[in-house]
Amino acid sequence: MTAEALIALGLLGITAPAVPGIAVKTKSFLTGRRGPPVLQLYADLAKLIRKGRVYSRTTTPIFRAGPVIALASLIVAALFLPLDGREAPARFAGDLVAFAGLLALARFALVLAGLDTGSSFEGLGASREVTIASFAEPTMFLCFVALVLAAGDLSLSGMFGAPLAAAWPHAGASLSLVGVSLFVLLLAENSRVPVDDPATHLELTMIHEVIVLDHGGPDLALILYGGALKLTLFGVLVVSVLVPRAGLSGLAALALLFAGLGVVALAVGVVESVMARVRLVRVPQLLVGAAALALVATILQLR
Amino acid sequence: MTLVAVGLTLILLAGLAASRETLFRVLLSAGCVAGAIPALAVLSGDTVRDVRLSPAMPFGPWVFGLDALSAVFLLAILSVGAACAFYGLTYLAHERGRRAVGAAHLLLAVLVASLSLAVVARAALPFLIAWEVMAVAAYLLVVLEHERREVRRAGMIYVVATHVGTLLLFALFAIWGGAGGATDLSFQALAAHPPFSAIRGGMILAVALIAFGLKTGAVPFHFWLPEAHAAAPAHVSALMSGVVIKMGIYGLLRTIVLFGAPAPWWGWVVLALGAVSGVLGVVWALAQHDIKRLLAFHSVENVGIIMLGVGAGALGLAYGHPLIAVLGFAGAALHTLNHALFKSLLFLAAGSVIHTTGTREIDHLGGLARPMPATTATFLIGSAAIVGLPPLNGFVSEWVVYQALLRGASAGDALRFAGLAVVVLAFIGALALACFVKVVGVLYLGTPRRALATAPRESAAGMIRPLVALAAACVVIGLVPIAVVPPALRVGSLVAGIPAGTAGLPAAAAAGPATVFTVALALSLFVAWGLYVAFGRRGQPAQSATWGCGYPSPTPRMAYTASSFAAPLLDVFRSFAGVRIHRTAQAFATHAVDPVLDEVLVPAWRGVRSGAAWLRHAQRGGLSQYLLWVGAAVVASLLYLLAVGRNP
Repeated sequence: MTAEALIALGLLGITAPAVPGIAVKTKSFLTGRRGPPVLQLYADLAKLIRKGRVYSRTTTPIFRAGPVIALASLIVAALFLPLDGREAPARFAGDLVAFAGLLALARFALVLAGLDTGSSFEGLGASREVTIASFAEPTMFLCFVALVLAAGDLSLSGMFGAPLAAAWPHAGASLSLVGVSLFVLLLAENSRVPVDDPATHLELTMIHEVIVLDHGGPDLALILYGGALKLTLFGVLVVSVLVPRAGLSGLAALALLFAGLGVVALAVGVVESVMARVRLVRVPQLLVGAAALALVATILQLR
Repeated sequence: MTLVAVGLTLILLAGLAASRETLFRVLLSAGCVAGAIPALAVLSGDTVRDVRLSPAMPFGPWVFGLDALSAVFLLAILSVGAACAFYGLTYLAHERGRRAVGAAHLLLAVLVASLSLAVVARAALPFLIAWEVMAVAAYLLVVLEHERREVRRAGMIYVVATHVGTLLLFALFAIWGGAGGATDLSFQALAAHPPFSAIRGGMILAVALIAFGLKTGAVPFHFWLPEAHAAAPAHVSALMSGVVIKMGIYGLLRTIVLFGAPAPWWGWVVLALGAVSGVLGVVWALAQHDIKRLLAFHSVENVGIIMLGVGAGALGLAYGHPLIAVLGFAGAALHTLNHALFKSLLFLAAGSVIHTTGTREIDHLGGLARPMPATTATFLIGSAAIVGLPPLNGFVSEWVVYQALLRGASAGDALRFAGLAVVVLAFIGALALACFVKVVGVLYLGTPRRALATAPRESAAGMIRPLVALAAACVVIGLVPIAVVPPALRVGSLVAGIPAGTAGLPAAAAAGPATVFTVALALSLFVAWGLYVAFGRRGQPAQSATWGCGYPSPTPRMAYTASSFAAPLLDVFRSFAGVRIHRTAQAFATHAVDPVLDEVLVPAWRGVRSGAAWLRHAQRGGLSQYLLWVGAAVVASLLYLLAVGRNP
């Protein structure tokens, strides 16, 4: 674990709240509104942290532990991503299972925290969240299989690092499909349009927002920051697949990563401006579509 | 081996002393410890001498031995068996006087001893005897509450299924041992079989798969499992789901040890059965409203995961990839042990809930975290473990199975298509998460959904202690993959017939960093919680009601139910989900059915019965009618001979 990698990780943590900001700004611009500033989430977080806490009488410590566990596991998950395009701070054979497991742990903690309130709204959101995740997770693993085949390595460092860059010339078509599939996953896992609308104001139509309806103050700050971090992590996955950076110097690779994250955020904003949400019952079909792309990518490698 | 024998004797003695609780506890613990010591020694690399009872025994010498494969199962049997026996003491205490409680404890001890005997037996006959004693003891325990009709029905289905399996085992050994015309049916003799013809080898593999598949409850042989596991008392369900069904897995692995590399088709069939069992098991579990049936279906799911490992291992062996073979079998063995721990934990914790609330309906319960904190905490650990979340034990074994499948994907030959099973495993994991979120959320969180006869309260310490012990085992195994992965690889090497420590090296090497990861994760969770508590100290948090969109007086009927929670997922699976939906303008309810039992087997059985009823017309008891049949038979034989045209 080098100091450089840790600094990169720190930078990623600091810039994460700007990523959804860029998406929102893009959407506002494209729909002819001014919109909140790109750095709005920082102000929101600062405000929320200073607020007092209100807990429902129905809740148990699970309600408070949820946001903490979710954020902590997302931070640990970030350790497995090779931010400089070469080597992550942590790696072992099969660490992709750990990465997926950490995302699942974050979801488990948050969804149970939501159910702890005993509200039907949270039940609704929890049910939808786990339904969507049931289709998102296999899709992610299918992408990982394609990447394992391309890179010939069982760790995320290998799959998104130097071996991947070497695989681009002969597996370009497959890797592009994986990139697209991962982008759809990014939209689904981070509750963006066309799966969920972060700007909706009606509880009955929400997915992610409604699970955290009863969280406020510092707890909500943890959740919002965790959400931004998760979006950024998926952004890193997409950028790493599409823009291998192993040949660049450490600084240039990082600069390219952050530029790429900006582009991903722009793309999210564009998708949100030009698409409507799909009906909830159609969401599994959307994800199966993404899985089909990843399957084609895998079969291209298996042939 | 002597120590194992002493242990089993002590366990049986404990069963006889069941009326004296302290003596029972002491003898049972001593027995389990005595048996576990050699098992642990073997798993860490020692060898134990076989015991041979010869030559006066029928069908060759009766040999008993302990190798790594036996040891891992023995460990699961003894640890879970001890936890369940201790739990049973308290669980059945209030039944004393109404039921034969002492007999139940004795039967449990017999069950544990026969299970242990089955995994150390090295000859067909003692294996079959232990197998049959196990089946009968389990049957008697299932029908403990025989005054209830559904219990008798479940017992009947179980006893039929298990005996069909035993019968097939007789056939298996007959086909296998008959090859050389020998009467020596010790495993040593079976392993030294002359090369089988393709047909005989195929028959052996197919019969073994069906016989052991019936015991292990893989789809489509699972039909008896949810019935029996729901009907039995909680600690018996725990032992059956945790250990008894694993004997099928033991059988499959032992078959591979003795048979050698199976044909590729067998590996593919096992892999496919694993995939189907895994996905359908968890989908059917989602549809359940009865907590014990739900957990039983999760056993089907986990057997599926284990069989994915066995299938990957068999394919690795068939196509000549030692590393994949070792990883697959190791993952299967480790997941067997892990599933034994967390599934018995979940069943015992569910038993604790049923004990105090008197209902198994998930939708009648809710908000139990407050009155039952210890049960809730242990159930939560068990749930996170069964879902495969780090840093718990389910994650470690699923990680090994994932490695086998991922390495299979890059193997090059036909094996590479097995890599696609990774997706199935991920799907199973995500669905299991959905299901356990449902269970934990509805049972323990929120508000009670119905008024209960008595206020629920935490179970007695005698029931909580086994829960805590099992939960601790789940956490410890999860935290130190480096301590459990090398022994599991030893088991995998044994099954694959490869010298230990050669093929599994890359996986063993990854166990170290994986341990760093799990420990670091656990630490960071603690540190995060500590920071949160430290910084959150300022100001007293205010108490309020849950936000209800401005509606001030929520009632229990408004709470989200398990039916509603699972509905979107089950909608996706439609007819596969085994759900009948009742939807009216005012109400929505789902009713779970078992597609195999309720829609195939029971109708088929009815068909057989009505066919038999039609045959009954031929047997009215009148002498003239019987004479007519005799005459008709003679005429028919004569006509046949005439048609064939020769005197036989």
